[in-house]
Amino acid sequence: MSARDSRITWAKLLILLGMGIYLTQLIISGNLTNYINQRFAWLAYVGAGIFFALALASLLQRIMPSLHGHQHYRIGWDILLIAAFPLALALLIPSRSLGIEAINGGVSLRPVGVGNAATFARSPLDRNILDWLREFSRATPAEFNDLPVDVIGFVYREPVHAADEFLVSRFTMSCCVADAFPIGMPARADFIDEVAVGSWVRVQGRLTAANFAGEPLPVITVESLEPVDEPEQPYLYP
Amino acid sequence: MDFILTIEVFATRFLGIFIEAVPFLLLGSLTSGLIESFVKSDDVLRLMPRSRLGAALGGAFLGLLFPVCECGVVPVTRRLFRKGLPLSMGVAFLLAAPFMNPIVFASTYIAFGLGPIFIGRIVITLVVAVTVALVIGMFTKPDSVLKPIALAGGPAKHSHDDHHHHHHDHDHDHDHDHDHDHDHEFASLRDKLLYAVGTASDEFFEMGRFLIIGSALAALMQTLVPQESLLALGTGNVLSVLFMQVLAYILSVCSTVDSFLALAFVNTFTTGAIVSFLSFGPMVDIKSTLMFTGVFRRRIVLYLILLPFVMNLLAGVFINLAIGY
Repeated sequence: MSARDSRITWAKLLILLGMGIYLTQLIISGNLTNYINQRFAWLAYVGAGIFFALALASLLQRIMPSLHGHQHYRIGWDILLIAAFPLALALLIPSRSLGIEAINGGVSLRPVGVGNAATFARSPLDRNILDWLREFSRATPAEFNDLPVDVIGFVYREPVHAADEFLVSRFTMSCCVADAFPIGMPARADFIDEVAVGSWVRVQGRLTAANFAGEPLPVITVESLEPVDEPEQPYLYP
Repeated sequence: MDFILTIEVFATRFLGIFIEAVPFLLLGSLTSGLIESFVKSDDVLRLMPRSRLGAALGGAFLGLLFPVCECGVVPVTRRLFRKGLPLSMGVAFLLAAPFMNPIVFASTYIAFGLGPIFIGRIVITLVVAVTVALVIGMFTKPDSVLKPIALAGGPAKHSHDDHHHHHHDHDHDHDHDHDHDHDHEFASLRDKLLYAVGTASDEFFEMGRFLIIGSALAALMQTLVPQESLLALGTGNVLSVLFMQVLAYILSVCSTVDSFLALAFVNTFTTGAIVSFLSFGPMVDIKSTLMFTGVFRRRIVLYLILLPFVMNLLAGVFINLAIGY
């Protein structure tokens, strides 16, 4: 094996190992849910397992010449550089979920996906933003008058909103961030100026049918608005 | 700073697609490695149907035996071509297998039940895959369709000289001309497994670059093109189908999970658009286009994109007109 082949073999080994470690680190730190639906977390286990197996096999082939496997394709530095790109991004850029800066076309007031009996059976205080939007799509705004609301989301505002208006928003995610979609519930609070746009809040209040940015909607009349940490699972799963 | 935030959003989207897809690419590479190590060319040649139509039909159902998604299907197809699989069979397999396999049947069923969307997806996938396979099967010379590296018994990429530097201590003797399709009949199980895993990791690097570039492009477009402005297009009989197919192409979401993504559009888009999204997406998207270029000649890659695009479009529009909205 030439010196160049040897260096390339070690680089491959390093990348395979690095990928395995990266996936494992995502699982352990919980950052995996910044990227994919919790339901598919097992994929990362499978991925990490195979990466470690491939790395181990390359190592065996490297240190035990009798087991050498010859390259089937000429893997050059160009391919290795591309393969290292995801690892470089993962190392250089801190892991975070999609937030307000990822919204590039407004926040939808309509629900995503279809609910099932279980989501509709939830009592008002247990409903998240997606549950509420599903409820809203099934009845007229006035039917929700006075129901209590207790939801967590980030603050989103548009130029059309009045000084006391905002949306308490979340991204929904079906499988991975590729299909992440921002939704939000209309809310009103006189003291909204005190909260930074984009920050995570817990909103408690009651619903009132009202005109919100020109549309008749159930609107949260906010009674309490407290800053909270980003939830462990930042996305809502339809 | 805006620029830094944009980079962060890009990184999250890119890594999300990559993390979701890479296990399937690994499974595909492993399948490919195992085929290389354990399946003999003779078996493939003996079992293949004789007629072109038979081969195309057989290829469309081959996914039931080799359950691979769209990231995994390309390395497996290339491997099968090298083992002597007929052109039309391989092309039908390539287009149909990402949906026509037990895993994606399950996810589609969970998302939509046994309704018109599930059935439409099966029918359209079969018709398109078989038709395109028959068209490409009309090329009589495989080397006008496939790149040398995908040809049966084609050259491996390393030069002849390299072989002389290898020292084979195994008890089997490689056939050291340019025919790389040696079947390892004399190797022990351990050697075969190690050989399979070694092949799999090379396959991962070879195909992984296309997945990475494709994911980066998809993430880039998602980050820069406003979602809402695209969604406004969703209701026309033709426009909605056209739009969902372009979206499927850009998003490059894995076929094992695209049903769940499609659920997000059920309320706003026509049924034809949803079905076309689900049948076209697994056949062609940004990342598989890039992977195709590692197997097929450039002109054929164009056929493999345009034919499924037009046929799926027609099918989607037909469904919209037949259902009536």
